[in-house]
Amino acid sequence: MKFAPERLEVAVGDTVTWTNRDLVPHTVSAARAGVESGNIAPGASWRFTARRGGTIDYLCRYHPGMKAVVVVR
Amino acid sequence: MKAFAAVLALSFPLAALAQAPSDPQIAGIVVTANRIDVDAGKLAKARSKNKEVQKFAQQMITDHTAVNKQAGALAKKLKVKPEESDTSKSLKQGAKENMANLKKLKGPAFDKAYVEHEVAYHEQVLGAIDKVLIPSAQNAELKGLIEKVRPAIAAHLEHAKMLQESLGKKS
Repeated sequence: MKFAPERLEVAVGDTVTWTNRDLVPHTVSAARAGVESGNIAPGASWRFTARRGGTIDYLCRYHPGMKAVVVVR
Repeated sequence: MKAFAAVLALSFPLAALAQAPSDPQIAGIVVTANRIDVDAGKLAKARSKNKEVQKFAQQMITDHTAVNKQAGALAKKLKVKPEESDTSKSLKQGAKENMANLKKLKGPAFDKAYVEHEVAYHEQVLGAIDKVLIPSAQNAELKGLIEKVRPAIAAHLEHAKMLQESLGKKS
C-alpha cells in the first residue's frame, strides 16, 4: 500500500515502469503534471516517459496516503 | 446508545475456535471476511449522501473484491476448499446484524454508524490476522497471501479512522 521508492530521480527521456506487486489495484495519478495511469491491476505494470523536467507529485486515487514523487532533471 | 452497543457486540469470534484453524478454515474466514466488507460497502455506496463515505465504500468494494479474487485463485491452485467454521459463521451473523442496523439509518446517522463499524471491523480483522491467521497457516503460500493482505487492512483502518474523525468534526 505504498510506492517504493517514495522519491525517484530520473532524467528527461527516461522511462519509469510501475509494477503493482500488491493484491489490490492502484493508480499513478498527478493531475497537475497531466499524469494518469488509469487502473493498474495486481500484477500489471504501467510505463511513463518523462518528457520534460520538473517535480511530479503523484498519488494513488484509490488509497489516500499513498503518495510519492518523481523528480525529472 | 445504539452505535455503542453495536461496537460492543462486535468481536471477532476467535473464542469460537478451540484450536488453531486449519488451512481450509482459514481460507473460509478470509473469503467470508472480504465478502462482508464488500456487501457493507455496496450498501454504503448506495445509501450515503456523503462523497467521502462513498469514496471509502468504493475502496472497500474494489480492494476486498480484488483480495478475494487472489484468495480464490490461490485456493484453487492449492486445491484447498474454503471451509465453514464457527468463526466464519459468527462473522456472518455479525454482518447480518450490522446490515439490519444500518438499513434502519440514513443521512449522517448512517454515515457515522457505517464508519464506526468499519473502524471496529478492520481493527478486529487486523488482530485476527496477526494473532491467529498468520501464525496458524500451514501452507507457505496461504500464509504469504495473508501477510500480503495485512498492509491493505491496515491502510483501510487508517482511512476509516480519518473518515470517522472528519465526520465527528462535522457534527
